[in-house]
Amino acid sequence: MSGAELFFYVLAVLAITSALAMIFTPRPVYAVLFMVVNFVAVALLYLQLEAPFLAAVQVLVYAGAIMVLFLFVVMLMGPAPAPLWEHIPAQRPLALLFAVGLLGALATAIRKGAFTPLTGTMSSAIATAGGQSQALAEHLYNRYLLPFELTSLILLVGIVGAVVLARLPRQKNPTTD
Amino acid sequence: MQINWADTSFLLAPEILLTVGALIVLVLDLLIEDDTSPVLPGFTLLALVSAFGAAAAHLVTGVDDVALFMFAADPLTHFFRLLGIGTALLVLLVSVNYVQARSKHTGEFYSLLLWVTLAVVLVAGAHDLILLYLAFEFLSITSYVLVGWLRDDARSNEGAMKYLLFGAISSALMLYGMSLLYGATGTTRLTEIAAFFTIPETQITGLYSIVVPALVFLLAGIGFKISLVPFHQWAPDAYEGAPTPVAAFLSVGSKSAGFAVLARVLLEAMPAFQEHWTSLLVVLSILTMTLGNLVALRQTNMKRLLAYSSIAQAGYILMGLAAYSAGATFPADGLSGVLIYLVAYLFTNVGVFIGAVIFEQATGSVAISDYAGLIRRSPWLAFTFVVFFLSLAGLPPTAGFVGKLAVFYATVAKGLYFLAIIGVLNSVVSVYYYFNVIRQMFFMPAPEGAERVRMPASMGLALAISFVGTLLIGFYPEPFLNLANMSRDFISALPLL
Repeated sequence: MSGAELFFYVLAVLAITSALAMIFTPRPVYAVLFMVVNFVAVALLYLQLEAPFLAAVQVLVYAGAIMVLFLFVVMLMGPAPAPLWEHIPAQRPLALLFAVGLLGALATAIRKGAFTPLTGTMSSAIATAGGQSQALAEHLYNRYLLPFELTSLILLVGIVGAVVLARLPRQKNPTTD
Repeated sequence: MQINWADTSFLLAPEILLTVGALIVLVLDLLIEDDTSPVLPGFTLLALVSAFGAAAAHLVTGVDDVALFMFAADPLTHFFRLLGIGTALLVLLVSVNYVQARSKHTGEFYSLLLWVTLAVVLVAGAHDLILLYLAFEFLSITSYVLVGWLRDDARSNEGAMKYLLFGAISSALMLYGMSLLYGATGTTRLTEIAAFFTIPETQITGLYSIVVPALVFLLAGIGFKISLVPFHQWAPDAYEGAPTPVAAFLSVGSKSAGFAVLARVLLEAMPAFQEHWTSLLVVLSILTMTLGNLVALRQTNMKRLLAYSSIAQAGYILMGLAAYSAGATFPADGLSGVLIYLVAYLFTNVGVFIGAVIFEQATGSVAISDYAGLIRRSPWLAFTFVVFFLSLAGLPPTAGFVGKLAVFYATVAKGLYFLAIIGVLNSVVSVYYYFNVIRQMFFMPAPEGAERVRMPASMGLALAISFVGTLLIGFYPEPFLNLANMSRDFISALPLL
């Protein structure tokens, strides 16, 4: 087993165990911390796949920003949140069925599919741009500029909407009919 | 791939004006303490008028190009720009007094009105599935917020929540359809998708089993916006709960954006599947107009009546797309029928909503029974209602008649006689419930001590514009027919990257 393979297997096991631990732990704060471990393990896997930009974003956005948000939510809810109940009857067996089905479909697709290493236009585009992040940036700020800018407007409207809808109702209401 | 900024800002001028306007309104809102200050609505009006002017200039000078690789600034887009911004202008005129009476947070309302207009415009010009999806989401999210605007009104909250839940599901369906289409063709550009399907069918037979579900999912997502049956359940609740000017915008602006997308996706990306989607559209159209009209018969709330009526109207408009035939002469091609109908529908349906806003503002009621004796309380308002209802029913000499005539003409020219007969039968049914309201206004006694219905000047102006537009198209349709004839061209071939 080469060093790279060892690296992969260690990270893979870490990612899967932390994901399982996150689901099964009864304590919300532990669940959040296990999720951080999972995100970091996946980020390192991206790094091994020679996707440094994705790895950095994974750590910054998920392990950083989103996890902090989750911790805030856990803090606000308190250590013992209301018990979750299942609305759909037979949710667990159904979920298991779908999960196994998805696993089967993915396994078949991976076994039957043909995988080729990065060649042709993509790797040459990366080479011309002088790196993966540069190649990505050239796409993002050129061909995909309009969707990129629109995304920021959508976020802005989301914030304005949250402010509008989350404000406290007025005490007196002169307009109800 | 170098971006030419001068060209880009010229092609996207209406969009840029709307964006900058909305941002400035947001900032001005922070600086201005007074909720009733005329600065914010005035600035919103300025942004809308300048964007309208830019779009009109594009249409008149025949601009036909692609901006930033994804936005088609072609005549079809210019048409929908004018339609969307025009709707927003009329809605703004009736909103000012309405929102000032109901909320202290008027600044956000104006900026959201500009955003939602921008969303309509972007949706209409989106020429790439990625931009299309994002613009559609943009439109949905702004609409959810606007529907839930009346924070203190439980029905407004309920309407927004229902709209959000239905919207999220249909948006997921549409995205799934798009991903299937991308998987099948390897491209997100509408014209490249069309080019892919010019490959002989025998070489890509396996792909048809992917493309047909993709088509169905896309239709479900877009049908939600247009409120086609069976994707319409949100509409009555959202219209009823929403601030009435917002309901007016949803029923016209948002709906016409849906038709723009439908036209682009079907005519630009999937012309190879016309026999598939024609039969789907025929079924949807029959279901939509029949259910809309039958349920409208039993409504007692004006806003719900108008919601079902606008569902039925969507069914008629859809007939035009079902009857589409490429290269046919004007107005037998179906698409021009859709465009004429949409212009007529803009003036008529916004008009009838404006009437409802004026009545609600004066009396606080939206029940149809409270319209009794309106002829004594405001003869002018009652008379405009008659004209709008005549137009909605498709009777001469109004805009609705011209619109229906164009759509039915295309349907018959295409040989879809069954669809045309169902459409005519539905129009007859619709007369009954429209005239029921008129009967209330003219032949029922006004309640004791009812006062005259007064309207603020801006609302009166909006009502007058809609009224004149509805009659003008009925009596002198030539300029509007020319507009539709000019606008039915869309980009069919783009330079490949």
